[in-house]
Amino acid sequence: MRLILVGFGNLGRGLGITLAEKQEFLKKRQGLVPKVVAIVDETGALVNDDGIPSAKFVAMARSGKKVEKLAGAKKGEIVHDTIEKVAADVVLELTPTNIKTGEPGLGHIKTAMKSNKHVITSNKGPLVVAFKELDALAKSQGVEFRYSASVGGAIPVIELARKLLAGNEVQEIKGVLNGTTNYILTRMGEEGAPFDMVLKEAQELGMAEKDPSLDIDGFDTAAKLVILTNSLLAINAKLKDVKIAGIRKITPEAIKLARDAGQAIKLVGAAKKGMLEVSPKMVPLGQPLAVSGSLNAVTLKLDLAREISITGFGAGPKETSSSLLGDLIDLHRTLGC
Amino acid sequence: MRVKIVMELRDVPGQLTKAIEPVARLGGNIQGIMHQRERKTPLGRIPVMLVFEIKDKKTLEKLLAELKKNGIAVTQIGESIRGVKRTTILIGHIIHTDIRDTIDRLNGIPGVRVSDMSLAMSELGKDSSARMTITADSEGSSNLAIKKLRQISEQKDLLLITSLEGEE
Ligand SMILES: NC(=O)c1ccc[n+]([C@@H]2O[C@H](COP(=O)([O-])OP(=O)(O)OC[C@H]3O[C@@H](n4cnc5c(N)ncnc54)[C@H](OP(=O)(O)O)[C@@H]3O)[C@@H](O)[C@H]2O)c1
Repeated sequence: MRLILVGFGNLGRGLGITLAEKQEFLKKRQGLVPKVVAIVDETGALVNDDGIPSAKFVAMARSGKKVEKLAGAKKGEIVHDTIEKVAADVVLELTPTNIKTGEPGLGHIKTAMKSNKHVITSNKGPLVVAFKELDALAKSQGVEFRYSASVGGAIPVIELARKLLAGNEVQEIKGVLNGTTNYILTRMGEEGAPFDMVLKEAQELGMAEKDPSLDIDGFDTAAKLVILTNSLLAINAKLKDVKIAGIRKITPEAIKLARDAGQAIKLVGAAKKGMLEVSPKMVPLGQPLAVSGSLNAVTLKLDLAREISITGFGAGPKETSSSLLGDLIDLHRTLGC
Repeated sequence: MRVKIVMELRDVPGQLTKAIEPVARLGGNIQGIMHQRERKTPLGRIPVMLVFEIKDKKTLEKLLAELKKNGIAVTQIGESIRGVKRTTILIGHIIHTDIRDTIDRLNGIPGVRVSDMSLAMSELGKDSSARMTITADSEGSSNLAIKKLRQISEQKDLLLITSLEGEE
């Protein structure tokens, strides 16, 4: 299976290392022999028609260099050209998320599909902005489109619902979908410390971005909710349809008052027909959504199975490579390449 | 209001009728009857749990008196008067936006009562936090109360956090 990696950051490098480390496992257990034939980022591309040898690949991933600085790379803005012209089966779109425009991922995915390549992405932007359009384009081009890694990191919630629970109608989705806010709320509860202080700590630990607004004001959760709503509830939802409140106003006193009543405060995304909302909610301790630290959790309400909940790590290169690799193996099984 | 009582009945025919007839006569609506045969008392009486909806406390007292008159021993009035309880948290300028008024407006809804309130102050000028328990005599009035509290919170710029528990 010939792969193009678009974006060589945390996830691109993480996936590269996973593919190299699991080479034997993938071949023996899954019959999958992935070959990375191109790595490309904004300013450079490295193409190797025989597949980049895995030892070299790991060294490159560990070096942390931009693609243009890698031995044998070409310099220049040649992303679209590479996606289009290099012969490959699958494009893995792993560039930064922009939930307003969907770019640059949206363009990359379209180019890939139009040149008859299957697409796997972890990028929420294109899905939030143009879910329906991309879904339709994939169908009309006859290519596969997978995005397990875009929601919940390692948690295979989309594939769980679509495959193993395929006989059910999903009626409602509730989730703790943002590790950063969950970490902050957990620490506020443990330390009795105010929001600002814990946010600063999270930033120092690399758990929160310098501009934390996407996470703490609820937009990241809303974006993931929109993806789940489109893919599992079959509702054509957009970000503007979500009523969003974040966690800036939460006090440690409120967390304590909730805990004294047997509840935890979590940033919860909830979706059902006619209602899309992200807001802080109390969750009874001991319920599946009452996960602590940076964990994520999703509860699906279903017509047959009633309720299914799933919990796990919502981010991290290694954890998320589990979802990317899952999609890859799924394509391998579907397509036989 | 909804009431749960446990009474002990002799294991002979006609006993249950004696117990439920006054409930019906006083306008009560029986929602459940459960014989607890496995818990038969040493004197051979059978505990029976009865759940019913009845107008108010006064009518309930009347009913209890009638049962007593009929020779029926009520051993438990299940957690006395149960209702639909909802726990909420409010964050913001709770006192300055007139907490008394907030509570009064909720208590003004028929069948709704703010049954518990804990307030935690923070540093001067900063947001304080409160936990408020709202007890209502039915699902419907409970939902009405939450809706009202949502309106009030918007007006007073308070953050309202409701619980997933008991949410439809
Ligand atoms: N990290 C996680 O745990 C995680 C989990 C789930 C989903 N995601 C999503 O997955 C995506 C990748 O995450 P990440 O953590 O790997 O991000 P990252 O470390 O910022 O890496 C992004 C990569 O994309 C490249 N890039 C930026 N603009 C580009 C363009 N116009 N054309 C081509 N390449 C471009 C970057 O190159 P430069 O370095 O040259 O800018 C970099 O190599 C994001 O959308 C993120 O939201 C991440």
